[in-house]
Amino acid sequence: MEGWNLTGTSSGSFIDFANAMADSEAAGQSAAGKDTDALSVSQAVEIAANALDAIPQLTVIGEVTGFRGPNARSGHCYFQIKDDSSAVDCKIWRGVYLKRAFDLRDGLQVQFTGSFDLYKPTGRMSFIARSFSLAGEGLLRQQVAALAEKLRREGLMDETRKRHVPVFCNRVAVVTSLSGAVIDDVKRTLRRRNPLVELICVGAKVQGEGAPAELIEALRRAAAIEPAPDCILLVRGGGSFEDLMTFNDECLARAVASCPVPVVTGIGHEPDTSICDMVSDRRCSTPTAAAESVAPALADLVEVTSTRERRLANAMNVRLAAAQDALGNDLQRVQRAMDARLERIRLTLEAAAARPCLTDPTVIVDRRRVELSQTAERLDAAIEHAHKRFAQQLELVTPRLRGATAGFSKKRHALELSTSQLRHVGASLLNAPHSQLASSAAALDALSPLKVLARGYSIAYAPTGVLTSIADARPDDEVRIALADGNVRARVTSVEAADNLNVDAADPAN
Amino acid sequence: MENQTNVDELSYREASTELEHIIRNLESGDMELEASLKSYTRGVELLRSLRGRLADAEQKVSVLMADIDGNDVLQPADAASTEDKPSFL
Repeated sequence: MEGWNLTGTSSGSFIDFANAMADSEAAGQSAAGKDTDALSVSQAVEIAANALDAIPQLTVIGEVTGFRGPNARSGHCYFQIKDDSSAVDCKIWRGVYLKRAFDLRDGLQVQFTGSFDLYKPTGRMSFIARSFSLAGEGLLRQQVAALAEKLRREGLMDETRKRHVPVFCNRVAVVTSLSGAVIDDVKRTLRRRNPLVELICVGAKVQGEGAPAELIEALRRAAAIEPAPDCILLVRGGGSFEDLMTFNDECLARAVASCPVPVVTGIGHEPDTSICDMVSDRRCSTPTAAAESVAPALADLVEVTSTRERRLANAMNVRLAAAQDALGNDLQRVQRAMDARLERIRLTLEAAAARPCLTDPTVIVDRRRVELSQTAERLDAAIEHAHKRFAQQLELVTPRLRGATAGFSKKRHALELSTSQLRHVGASLLNAPHSQLASSAAALDALSPLKVLARGYSIAYAPTGVLTSIADARPDDEVRIALADGNVRARVTSVEAADNLNVDAADPAN
Repeated sequence: MENQTNVDELSYREASTELEHIIRNLESGDMELEASLKSYTRGVELLRSLRGRLADAEQKVSVLMADIDGNDVLQPADAASTEDKPSFL
């Protein structure tokens, strides 16, 4: 039953298959087909299956189509691979698909390694892939993604390391092919937008063999320009994925990241993103956009300048007005202060002027004159008064003085009398003593030792007194011998008793 | 204010930055009058220069080329063509 069904529904396929076989090694089999010894479908399919089994393992590149993911129940994958003119069913068993390096999806260019197989119940041929890997652009994209991830991990895409591109770049180096339309685009864009931007074109190959090295060298040369440009435009027009692969080069990406001058990229068209874009300091979707990003439009500058002109004038006016105000205020203050000061001085002056010494100077003299006349009056009165008093006192004293001296002549007479009486009495009183004294003096003169001494006697004095006895004298005593006309000092040499008396024997000591 | 460079020696950006700076200082209003007058004069000078440059702006293009000794030199090159504009203007 299945055979019928199979024949009925798949006859077309079978004939196609048979025809295909006829072109290949199974040509002999087909030629042998006759009505008389016709084969059953099973037999024919068997022959075809054997023929397919005889084909060695193949590696096929094709685009995946009709992929719906692994079968929910079995986990196997059923889809087709095709190229421009052919397609074939393809199966990947669950175990193989589990070990995959990437997910299959429609449109991928994949390289499958496996062999053909014929499913006998339906007679359908399919390719059983035992392994598969990305091919062509798919492979490239995978490699690019891996490189991007690697550079991202290294931090080359960190926002923090992206340098600031000046809003208005005065000097811009353009690194691109000098022969393409891109350089003209950039020039024209900037000419229209802002001709003040100076452009320096640095030529380099932008695709194909050696392009990355040339671009790296061009970046180096551009950064070395003196004075250094404000930024470098790394641009390239649109192209196929392979064309743009130059800008996914690791060395070029590193050169962009390490370029001493900020790099602005504009590579390909809108959706294209290269690794150079990712590591550059500013990424623009196209060369034109990149050119536009490096400087403001001239019209904007004109407007900004006009605005600034107004602001400048305004600010200056405000400043001047403020200065004027300040000056006015200062002037007012000065005036007020001056007025106040003048007023104070005026008041002081007026007060001074109002004083009497200035208004009527004669007052001073008048007052002094009055004072003087009063004093003079007082003086006159005082003198008069004193005079009167002294006169009165004198008058009182005169009779008293006269009275006091009245008894003076009587007393003088009595005094004279008393004086003569006293003189007389005194003289009589002295007569008797006077004669007595004269007789005493004569007696005394007769008795004087001096008279004796004058006759040749002398008096000897020992230290104890007058020597009257030998008992009072000792040898070596110093004695004074008083004579009438002086003294002799002598030393006792010896003392002798009276029986041997010889006055002349006594040696004078000196 | 000090060591002022000749206005014409400044790049557009430098002149523009200086002008903006001057205006801000003036707007802040805490400058001495003499200083502000000096600033204003400088500002007017910058403004005139900037206006002039905007009016007469001509694109300058050069190409970096290696000379015989292999040293990079700038060679003047043509500005962008004006073909995108009608010729009668």
